[in-house]
Amino acid sequence: MTAYSTLRFDAARCTGCGDCMTACAVAKTGSDDPGRSRLRVLPGNTPGTWEAAVCRQCGDPRCVSFCPAAALAKDPETGTVEWDGAKCVNCLLCTVGCAYAGIAFDAAAGHVAKCDHCGGNPACAAACGEGALEWMTTARIYNEVGQDEDLFVPGLAGCQGCNTEIVMRHAMRRIGPDCVLATPPGCVPGMGSVGYNGMTGTKVPVFHPLLTNAASMLAGVRRAHKRQGRDVLAVALAGDGGASDVGFQSLSGAAERGEEILFIVIDNEGYMNTGMQRSSCTPFGAWTSTTPVGERGRGKTQDAKNLPLIMVMHECDYVATASTAFMEDFYAKLDRAIAAARHGFAYLHVYSPCTTGWRFPAEKNIEVARRAVECNFVTLWEFTPEAGLRFTRDPDRPRPLADYLSALGKFRHLGADQVGHLERHLAENVKRLRGLAREPAAA
Amino acid sequence: MSGAGPLSPTVPASHPEKRGLLRMTPSLRPGEADMAAVLEKKKPKVIVCDGNEAAAWGVSLANVDMVAVYPITPQSSLVEYVAKFVADGRLKADIVDVEGEHSVLSVLQGGMLAGARTYTATCGPGLAFMFEPYLRTPGLRMPMVMSIVTRDTLSPQSVWGGHQDAMSVREAGWIQLYCETVQEVLDTVVMAYRIAEHHDVMLPVNVCHDGNYLSYGASRVELPEQADVDAFLGAKDVNWHVALDPTRPMGVDPLTGGAGGPGPRMFVKYRKGQCRGMQNALAVIEEAHAEWNRHVGRWHAPLIEPYRMEDARFALVTLGSMTGAAKDAVDEARGAGVSVGLVKVKTYRPFPLKAIAAALAPVEAVGVIDRSVDFGFDCGPLYKDVLGALAGLPRRIPARSFIGGLAGADITVGHVQRVIGEVAELAASGTPGPTAWLNERD
Amino acid sequence: MHSHYLILGASHAALSAVAAIRMADTDNALTVVAKEPHLPYSPTVLPYVVSGRSDPARIALADEAWFGERKVDVLRGTGVAGVDPVLRRVRLADGRELFYDKLLVATGARPFVPPVPGLSALPFHVLRTLDDALALREAARGARRALVLGAGLIGSHAAENLAKAGLEVTVVEREPRMLPAYFDARAAAIIERRFAEHGVRVLTGATVRTAERAAEGCRLGVENGAGWEALEADLLVVGAGVVPATDFLAGTRMDGNRGIPVDDDMAAAEGIWAAGDCARVASFYGGPPVVGGILPDAVQQGRVAGQAMAGDPGRKPYAGAIPLNTYTFFGHQAVSVGVQDLPGAETHRCGDPAAGRDLKVVTRDGRLAGIFGIDWPFDGGVMWELILRRVDLAPVMDRFLADPQDTARTLMSKLWR
Repeated sequence: MTAYSTLRFDAARCTGCGDCMTACAVAKTGSDDPGRSRLRVLPGNTPGTWEAAVCRQCGDPRCVSFCPAAALAKDPETGTVEWDGAKCVNCLLCTVGCAYAGIAFDAAAGHVAKCDHCGGNPACAAACGEGALEWMTTARIYNEVGQDEDLFVPGLAGCQGCNTEIVMRHAMRRIGPDCVLATPPGCVPGMGSVGYNGMTGTKVPVFHPLLTNAASMLAGVRRAHKRQGRDVLAVALAGDGGASDVGFQSLSGAAERGEEILFIVIDNEGYMNTGMQRSSCTPFGAWTSTTPVGERGRGKTQDAKNLPLIMVMHECDYVATASTAFMEDFYAKLDRAIAAARHGFAYLHVYSPCTTGWRFPAEKNIEVARRAVECNFVTLWEFTPEAGLRFTRDPDRPRPLADYLSALGKFRHLGADQVGHLERHLAENVKRLRGLAREPAAA
Repeated sequence: MSGAGPLSPTVPASHPEKRGLLRMTPSLRPGEADMAAVLEKKKPKVIVCDGNEAAAWGVSLANVDMVAVYPITPQSSLVEYVAKFVADGRLKADIVDVEGEHSVLSVLQGGMLAGARTYTATCGPGLAFMFEPYLRTPGLRMPMVMSIVTRDTLSPQSVWGGHQDAMSVREAGWIQLYCETVQEVLDTVVMAYRIAEHHDVMLPVNVCHDGNYLSYGASRVELPEQADVDAFLGAKDVNWHVALDPTRPMGVDPLTGGAGGPGPRMFVKYRKGQCRGMQNALAVIEEAHAEWNRHVGRWHAPLIEPYRMEDARFALVTLGSMTGAAKDAVDEARGAGVSVGLVKVKTYRPFPLKAIAAALAPVEAVGVIDRSVDFGFDCGPLYKDVLGALAGLPRRIPARSFIGGLAGADITVGHVQRVIGEVAELAASGTPGPTAWLNERD
Repeated sequence: MHSHYLILGASHAALSAVAAIRMADTDNALTVVAKEPHLPYSPTVLPYVVSGRSDPARIALADEAWFGERKVDVLRGTGVAGVDPVLRRVRLADGRELFYDKLLVATGARPFVPPVPGLSALPFHVLRTLDDALALREAARGARRALVLGAGLIGSHAAENLAKAGLEVTVVEREPRMLPAYFDARAAAIIERRFAEHGVRVLTGATVRTAERAAEGCRLGVENGAGWEALEADLLVVGAGVVPATDFLAGTRMDGNRGIPVDDDMAAAEGIWAAGDCARVASFYGGPPVVGGILPDAVQQGRVAGQAMAGDPGRKPYAGAIPLNTYTFFGHQAVSVGVQDLPGAETHRCGDPAAGRDLKVVTRDGRLAGIFGIDWPFDGGVMWELILRRVDLAPVMDRFLADPQDTARTLMSKLWR
């Protein structure tokens, strides 16, 4: 089944203002009566929360199956369930078919009405000032990238639910085959990407640099090809430990020199491949195998090094943070990073929850990644020397930090003082970024 | 195989570089005197420069593509010369000013894997810092060239010459060539590329020249013609065997080994191949020196240089610039009727075991002068290796270790005369004394 | 001829089964046998064909392309003569034989004609096929007075359409109210009032006893509580319900006109499944099995049957039939979800019958059992889900009764968003 663009409702951001409903009513009926909106925002089960009832444009829509008059059909191009007024007999059976209240009788119009995505430019999302309604382009990206070749072999030996493998495969799909890939020791080569005993897991030129010198080796690779008049993208898929600790010197040196490299750090907050030891990117309070929890030990006692911000201070041609829970954002940044790596140093920091090392169920990976962002544990932004720093997701009104911490075993032991420390640190971090940001977040 | 001998044995012994200069006049191998006629017509370009500049000239002549630099005493002026050559447009190379020696070698490894001919230089602490990428260079069969402007290792803190840095990496799998003169520095840097890139070798080469003595000592140097060097080196082909290139995608350096499956035999295959390349290098080094002589008209002894070893009863073994003073001392001793000779080791790794054994086989005692120490055996490392060569001979030849010239100290004619005296005594007693430290009472 | 999957019938249950099978099995041969020559359509749309609201050329639920994409062979215009479950063979009316591995019977229902003496000798119309609809539409053009037997969905729709077409219409219903299967007396009264307002005479609690030809067309003798009445008309429509169309099963264990009994996988016998108006299924509320005869149920059952036939590991057993329908009349909307009454159930009445609006909510143990409204906004699909999930409404009951639509939507957001 093909996936499509769709509306995404983020309950945590909704204020119940009703602007979306008014916009929908105006766009669809010419009336500003929110009662005529095809999207309905309603009070949630707890006061102050809001929910939305709107057509999900189901993959196998029951409203279509229930229609005796063939008046409803799913458009195979757009994925939108389209209503044909000329065929509709007003029997309302479609409303019985929908478990989401996505199609309902509009008494003023005298017939059923449903969301049609305004032909791909939904008025409701445009009217939402809170970012609660978004027109998601994930599906478009899926359709595009789905055509690209996966440049890793099937069956890499990552842990179940590995997020890093997702980052690797998506990034390399976008980057394509005309590149040289460095994967310093860690989970990326550890799951077999470079290979073992004469076999390789990657379809592009790939190598094991040292943990310490990925950026330096890539600088040489890029320069040598360039001398020969060739534009071969130099790419690193590195772990946070190698990048922020022992490999930091070469990373910093290459960034300062403006080497033409796309350096992607997959941040799983420690040395997960070697057995979950602490790195300088490990957050405060986190359990690791070298910051264990015991009678006296209560996890790491220092805050994480803010590596992407440090890279901003190198005035790299491009710096951004990303998360696999926000793929359209990730892909947009990949595109910009790839372009930047043809004229300077591009740095992409992708947060990658580790099911094994962070202690949470494998199937929760994307949920954990999403909560990390929603709680501001991770902020999504990008930087160029020309445009400065810009949030790509507004850090205003984050979810409570507890929603994130409670999902992870590595934070299970935290006391109130430690949680307080983290909250202050994260708030400070957002404040610092805001100070650097030159323009408001993207809509 | 003996050279033509010094033109002026009366030059004061306190100026080893000056003596080196005097020995720079081309020496022809027996039977190749016809080359002299060719050389007469060429009128070589002559400059006066120190060893660091000479190395830079070698780099320039070898048409290197990529040089990564990080300054360190006594190497600094070498990379400054290279940078100047690049700035002047004489050398059309990428020069990468990196943030440390670790990245120096790493950048070059990347460049080499993408097809570049590469060069750098370092010493002492810098060499120690690049040890991690240094170790994998020969394992990946990377034909790179790096000068070690030798310097004693820390601590005690020191910035002066000594072979301890190069000796500390003698088992890392690099070829090590030690130069005696400034001219030899230039010539050897160029020859090193032919050796490293030879398909039977494919190993990195350290061209070692002594810090202070050769790095800063100025001499008369003949510059080879670029066309001759080009003809000598032939076409560049550094990454035919391992490459990072989208037109030839491969996984470079996958995990290899382990206890089961194809792992053990695969790892052994690579290790043995590396050892074979090292042994192949012995013949390739000889061939390169012969070809250098053919193209450029200058002869250097490739593996070892036996000096006045005919009918010698005792022998000295030397390494690097100390050889000049040693040759003077040998000349003086011969003049006094002492039957002593000298074997200079140029190729230290791979160790020319057979050549050394053959050269020393006739003598009654051997004295080996080292500019570094072997901590495990309380002697010099070259001494220990020479013992290995002697051990294969049917007759036991007593040998003694002499250590001198550490941290910039001189090894003078006087020091070598003392060594000759000790070796004469050793020949009589047959019992070697303990390691002798030449500068202990200076 | 052999087909791995063979489906008899081509309406909602059959199409739903095709889709479900092809979700799980894209390869094995699939054949659909359609009795009529037309592309598949819904019987539910037929009243609108009669009224002219629907263009018969634009009511197809699936076209050749749809079947082609799903690699389905369609044999149109032939009925089924018999099934041999042992040999796994189907005989078609045109004499062809089809062998199958898995058979779905989704042949739907045919009109029930009450056993009134003389009726079968009269010219009358039923409304089950497109041809029926076209014939009725044609007949209505020249007619003046119509008699409609039965005030179920078909009969009521037919009566309204004929009235709108200018005919003088009388409806005769045996039960004491219109739409007895979906609405109670209070709601039915509202509906009946609207019919009366539009000039339709509705006789409830009335039984047709005699039928004979008359000068105009026909004359029926009708008995109600008060006595006898003779009704004449030039157009007679019989809309007295349907019975499963399974005559071809005569001689098998699935014989009979009370529907093919099936389990919660819609399996009827070894290698045979049944779905839709011809299947007899368990009721969601317990008690004896029922023949649903409604469109949403046909879709659901067809999907379950298709999934079971293809061995789809993701299938869920059929949850049981829940009466469910919508009915629009003279511009008003009636929605019925669930049952009117249950032992131990509580009935909540809201609404404003005088204004023609009504709401009735039936709950048991705080769970929704049924909800019935006339011109009262709520989402039938959300209510159906509340019943299926047995959602406890007790904490929000007051809100639910005051505003069933938004309260149910909020619950929906929390429970299955």
